[in-house]
Amino acid sequence: MTSKHTRRGVLRAGMATSGAALLSAMPAGRLLAQEPEKPSEIIVRAWGGEWVDALKAGVSDPFTEMTGIAVRHDLTEDNEIQPKVWAAVAQGRVPPIHINWDTTTNATKSALRGVTEDLSDLSNLANTTELAKPVGLDGYPLINTYGYVYVLAYRPEAFPDGPPTSWRDLLDPRFKGRIALYNDGIGFHFPAQVAGGGSLDDIPDNMEPCWNFVREIKEQNPLLGEDPDFTTWFQNDEIDAACTISTNALGAKRNGVELAWTVPEEGCKFDTDCLWIPKNLPENELYWAKQYINLALSQESQQVWLDGLGLPGVVPGLTPPAGLENDPSYPTKPEDFEHLIRISSAVQVQNESDWFARFKEIMQG
Amino acid sequence: MKQGAPAETSREKSEIKRPVAVRARDLTMDFGDGAPAVDRASFDLETGRFLTILGPSGSGKTTLLRMIAGFQKPTSGEITVNGHAVDATPPHRRSVGMVFQRLALFPHMTAAENVAFPLKMRRYDPRSVPGRVRDFLDLVKLGDYGERRINELSGGQQQRVAIARALVFEPELLLLDEPLAALDRKLREEMQLEFRRIQHELGVTTINVTHDQREALVVSDDIIVMDGGRIQQHARPVELYRMPENTFVAGFLGVSTFVAGTAFPGGLKSGDLHLSGTHAGEIAEGTPVRGAIRAEQIRIVAAPDSLATCDTAFPSRILDVIFEGERLLYVAESDRLPGVAFQVYHHDTEAFDLYEIGAQVTIGWNARDMKIFKSTA
Amino acid sequence: MDALEAALDMIWPRRLARYSGWAMIAPAILLVGILVLGLVQIAEGSLHTLDRSTFLPSEEYTLANYQTIIDSTTYWRVLWRSLLGAGLTVFFTLLLALPYSYIMVRTSSATIRKSLLVVLFLPFFIGQVVRAYGILIVLGTSGAVNDVLGLFGVEPLRLLFNFPAVVFGLVQYMLPFSVLLLAPALTAIPRETETAASSLGANWLQSFWHVVIPMAKPGLVGAGLVVGTLSLTDFAMPAMLGGGSQDFIANAIYDQFFRTADQGLGAALALLLVALGSVIAGVVIAIFGAGTLGMGGRK
Repeated sequence: MTSKHTRRGVLRAGMATSGAALLSAMPAGRLLAQEPEKPSEIIVRAWGGEWVDALKAGVSDPFTEMTGIAVRHDLTEDNEIQPKVWAAVAQGRVPPIHINWDTTTNATKSALRGVTEDLSDLSNLANTTELAKPVGLDGYPLINTYGYVYVLAYRPEAFPDGPPTSWRDLLDPRFKGRIALYNDGIGFHFPAQVAGGGSLDDIPDNMEPCWNFVREIKEQNPLLGEDPDFTTWFQNDEIDAACTISTNALGAKRNGVELAWTVPEEGCKFDTDCLWIPKNLPENELYWAKQYINLALSQESQQVWLDGLGLPGVVPGLTPPAGLENDPSYPTKPEDFEHLIRISSAVQVQNESDWFARFKEIMQG
Repeated sequence: MKQGAPAETSREKSEIKRPVAVRARDLTMDFGDGAPAVDRASFDLETGRFLTILGPSGSGKTTLLRMIAGFQKPTSGEITVNGHAVDATPPHRRSVGMVFQRLALFPHMTAAENVAFPLKMRRYDPRSVPGRVRDFLDLVKLGDYGERRINELSGGQQQRVAIARALVFEPELLLLDEPLAALDRKLREEMQLEFRRIQHELGVTTINVTHDQREALVVSDDIIVMDGGRIQQHARPVELYRMPENTFVAGFLGVSTFVAGTAFPGGLKSGDLHLSGTHAGEIAEGTPVRGAIRAEQIRIVAAPDSLATCDTAFPSRILDVIFEGERLLYVAESDRLPGVAFQVYHHDTEAFDLYEIGAQVTIGWNARDMKIFKSTA
Repeated sequence: MDALEAALDMIWPRRLARYSGWAMIAPAILLVGILVLGLVQIAEGSLHTLDRSTFLPSEEYTLANYQTIIDSTTYWRVLWRSLLGAGLTVFFTLLLALPYSYIMVRTSSATIRKSLLVVLFLPFFIGQVVRAYGILIVLGTSGAVNDVLGLFGVEPLRLLFNFPAVVFGLVQYMLPFSVLLLAPALTAIPRETETAASSLGANWLQSFWHVVIPMAKPGLVGAGLVVGTLSLTDFAMPAMLGGGSQDFIANAIYDQFFRTADQGLGAALALLLVALGSVIAGVVIAIFGAGTLGMGGRK
């Protein structure tokens, strides 16, 4: 049924859905004259579980409704699609996906490598906050779509005296073997720098305080995993606390696990995810892929998509999901950001491998 | 039949009665799949003697051997070796050497290591092992082959290793489970003589199992003939050959011709023909019987007169002539005994092509040579 | 028929007959060729470092990646852990597989043999990852094993996410492979040989040690080689049961390819793993001889 939409239908739907400026920046006449041929589908790489469900509800389904173009979600790991895209672009082949939903750090690597399309001409960019703009890159080789916090998620029953106030609380002997971190330490390095007595200004030049704290944590035999592991571990009662993206904690909580999260005094890492388009797509597919991202930046799409993720978006005026208003994992006001640590992607991209290697060296011992 | 008896008595008398090494009483092995594999077998074997259990495949001879070796527990009955019940001790504590059908040598060891194996397992003084191994390799004439691996030895040499391995710990009893069956005839006959020589040299009580009647006759002091799980006859080789106790034994050893008929004093009656023979035991006149006559005991001539000395003679016709090398085998039939093909050996080296197929001849024999048994069902 | 032969003659003329053997193994050679081509590319890749300002491999050839590996304590530790893990897995797998296959081959009961076979093959239909998940559930803090321990008043134990858990998972994963490789070797040992050993004075244990194990050596070596190389290169068990801190080489390679996007370093590690596996296999074959593995070499 969606495939029967006419261009007028698209136009009406676009106008009707909101003040969203999917098409508003384009003179209607130009659109009618130049709208390129529609592909039967576009492929969007996404993370599974609640992540893809949220994207589908907020962006993909409305996009299909408006354009008649089906959206296929490719759930290949972000890290695994990256070399495939790189190889395709290097060999002049059409890349395996149209749009990559990626971490900003990873996407920055692709941007530096020059395999991303410039997205500066998207009309809805006009309505976005500062967060949408990639730091340290020219133009918009990628567009950040929301921010997220690597919170300290914990099981309230394991903290009868109230929520942990410091990352150092995890050093309590009763948490030996009961805490979890990302297996490359992502999200943990910066608060560890503070918890280890160091300064954020020393990043990346002197991170000894960070490594000292990681060594202390190592004595606690932490479990090391990836997003799905945290949910499983909380559910199976393997851990009491974890440094993880708030969305995972929210997901586990929505699945019935008794869980809370907090931003300790040392702060939490704040980062962004983004959307980008690989080079070498046929002209018409590139056009429609851009329209997809443009839609993702519209207020309605952001509202639905990010309600699902429980994360703050990049357009003003979004209503926080139930229960997340004033939640530390949902920063919106400037004071919310006081305890959040934001390091530029450029610095992260340059040093991530070293941090990772260092973290591994300590943890694999 | 009474002729054999005096010979037997004299031989018995000439030998000192030796102690019994193996005693079996009412041994039965019933696998529960029809008739028992071994049915109430009883026998005594004197120390130092070589006994062969002879029978066709499926006769129960191997099962009997395995029970004696202790590998199989009899359903009922008992076996003692030198006065001790066999099943009282596990196989590895018994003093029984065995040479297996497929030899079962250890391929990952040299010949000498194979022979040393039982000595090591039985905790012989390590200093005595090499000398003992050498002695037994010498005994089987493999003195120079000790360091060879098993797959570097010929079939005959492997046989010898297997014998040395079974004997090196000087077992009370040596068991041979058809070890020669797979060899070609020439090697088999050579090894038969070797078995005999070694057994005589060591004087070890030996039980051999075979289906080869020639082997049994050549190597044994005693032979037990088995069929259908039962012992058919237990006797010395000569006795067994000359005085079979039933038609099975008569037929299994040598080449015999069987004639069915009814008992008659001094022979049997078949049709209108009276054939001279010797009754095995008391047989009432008119009882259905079968007479057995060996091929070498039938005489064959062209003219009836030459057989005047025979107790029975009648005309026949040559059906077939088979050249067997050292002799000829004639197959002859008489019009008066249709359906009975007499097998006749002829050893006259001067006249090898005496009769042709279709020739009219006279065949005959003496009463003592045809054995007459009651017909069994 | 004649037409068929004529057609065949057209496709493969008789004068080429002596090359028929080569034609038969051509597909295998092709497959090996593709593998070699891949290895060559990996080798080439390992000679370039990653430029982090452009995220492109460097132009010039360098051994820097190998130097990085040599200088890194992490990789030595991971390497040692992989070797130790593979060694322990081989030891325990063979220790368990030998009696298992022996009973399976020797039992006179058809029921026992069938049950052992079913128990053996069932895990084959369940992938490695699913099996690892099973272990996660059974050995978890609130899993069956801890439930049973709880009945005896034992506090929940952390049975997972450590080196023994990884080895346990690998042994569990490898057991069917090694039983399948051992069973034919044990079947090839005539029952009579063991009977002979017992008649010569060996008790059951001596007969097993002096006769069965030496005669099963081809199977043991083959199974050990397969289990060893599969364990050495395993990814899933260390990843899932190691709790993130028990990486094997394959996990380190994955990290370089897919997490830090440093394909050069990943390639160098991969090549190192290939070399390590080849050397071990080569040493084993040199010691035991190709003939031991039933490949027809002279002893």
